Amino acid sequence: MKRLLNILLRGIITENPLLMLMIGLCSALAVTTTVANGIGMGLAMTFVNVFAELVISLFRKLIPNDARIPIFIIVIAAFTTIVDLSMKAYFPALSKSMGVFIPLIVVNCIIMGRVEAFAYKQPPLDAIFDGIGMGLGYTWVLVGIAAVRELLGAGTVAGIQIMPSSFQPILFFTFPPGGFIVFALFISLNIWLNKLKTAGAAAREAA
Amino acid sequence: MNLGTIFLSALLVENVVLMRFLALCSYIGMTSDLGQSTGMGFAVAFVTVLATAATWPIYHFILVPLGISFLQILVFILVIAALVQLVEFYLKKNVPGLYLAMGIYLPLITTNCAILAVTFDNISKGYNFIEALVYAVGVSGGYLLAMVLLAGIRQRIKNSPIPKFLQGTPILFVATGLITVAFMGFAGMIK
Amino acid sequence: MKKDILRLGITLALFAAGACVALAFVYTITGPKIAGLESEQLSASLKDLFPDADSFPAIEPALTASDTGVVLEKAYKALRGTEVLGVAIKAIGKSYGGAASMLIGVRSDRHIAGARVLTLSDTPGLGANAVNPAYFVNKSSKTTFIGQFTNKAVSDPFVVKQDVIAISASTITSKSLTNILKKASDAGVAWLDANATGGVQ
Repeated sequence: MKRLLNILLRGIITENPLLMLMIGLCSALAVTTTVANGIGMGLAMTFVNVFAELVISLFRKLIPNDARIPIFIIVIAAFTTIVDLSMKAYFPALSKSMGVFIPLIVVNCIIMGRVEAFAYKQPPLDAIFDGIGMGLGYTWVLVGIAAVRELLGAGTVAGIQIMPSSFQPILFFTFPPGGFIVFALFISLNIWLNKLKTAGAAAREAA
Repeated sequence: MNLGTIFLSALLVENVVLMRFLALCSYIGMTSDLGQSTGMGFAVAFVTVLATAATWPIYHFILVPLGISFLQILVFILVIAALVQLVEFYLKKNVPGLYLAMGIYLPLITTNCAILAVTFDNISKGYNFIEALVYAVGVSGGYLLAMVLLAGIRQRIKNSPIPKFLQGTPILFVATGLITVAFMGFAGMIK
Repeated sequence: MKKDILRLGITLALFAAGACVALAFVYTITGPKIAGLESEQLSASLKDLFPDADSFPAIEPALTASDTGVVLEKAYKALRGTEVLGVAIKAIGKSYGGAASMLIGVRSDRHIAGARVLTLSDTPGLGANAVNPAYFVNKSSKTTFIGQFTNKAVSDPFVVKQDVIAISASTITSKSLTNILKKASDAGVAWLDANATGGVQ
């Protein structure tokens, strides 16, 4: 149980795909103009990630090493299509606002990376927890960036007006440059937090 | 809607990397060297145009008539993967120097979201075959442009004083943000 | 060696087949729902343009526009009982970022009942403002780009920057959408002239 919890936490914090491993960036900046988009994208990606890792892990003994990449692609593409069709049918407004980024989940480096590095070699239960952990790690960063961009760029968070009506929205943040700058600050913050953590650990070691 | 507008719009106004946030992994990962970024830019351009030439007919003449357009994601990504494999074989045999120089980044072209996005755009924008090809060339040009720009800037960053909290990756994104502000100025260009 | 490649090929084919089966299954469930959503959106838009109408039978054969670049996909009569209130046309044409589709309503008095943009893939912040309900071409009267066409006479020139206000910095989008609207309305009036003489104010 502790092992599974560790796997989960790893994806959320220590090996956060966006902040630490720096993969899966494209969607992270494009869909973070609103919190609703961020949550939608995070959940969609988590769904594909969990199921792709699960299926690959279940069949890992049957997937020959030389043909593994095309098979990974087939499985990931299948689940991406399922998410795409389901969103078009049951969440059409959200699907429209995310546009081409839902189908682009198929080339999300995070999913490809985890399937290759983890699910292909680990048992199904571990794979599920890794999928959820990485998915949650991805989602919380997305929602964080989106919250900043939506708050400063439109005065709302998840559509709820937070800033007083006298607040003039700084449209810059909803535009691409704003996205890049907010992301830069998030990475910077994360690097600093990690420095504190290692400094704290070293201090404890020395003590 | 003439071809010139499609090309310029894809190259500048809706630049694939700076305005649409696509292909960022390779943008950050492969711009530490100017030669590397140019090579990558041309490789991606080559695959994008080939992918367009292959996927457009497949969608319009196979998927739609057979009523299996829901297989679009699966088929398109497999076509791209196959094309990248072919390019790999060709380079390995005929241009081994480039093959070795690109190393792991060659197979990674498959996961380049810009290429897949172009193949999807061709369909969703209702382009005909010629328009789709022009769009593909425009997007590839925009990608090459962004790559070369950042590579050039990174050379300068090496010798510039950067505030401590922005050192490393953050300054790259700040620089990108600033380039993007400039590109947003292209918006009124095509009236 | 050959046996290995065969084994690889078969495994690949099996996975591909499995994926296709799974997707076909999901598609049989979601496909009808997606199509249903489109027709719901269409009915809602039709009712929006002609609130007094109670039925919208399709017009066969489909109408044609004088401009080959504008395709009039479907046309519907707006009927209140047997009275023709007008005609609604779904038109598709080229805009800045690719194909754009609109629903245009022409009243029997040869004025535009209204127009709705159904799909548009133009630049966000520029051409996409055509579908932005908060973007006004006339700020004092709070008229949106599409809103300015309501109650406009079809016989007007429909020239951007003359009798049509453009979206700022998006002349191409403005011209394309205006063109689609004009061609569709002309065809609508032509149909009304041929099939429903007289008019209801």
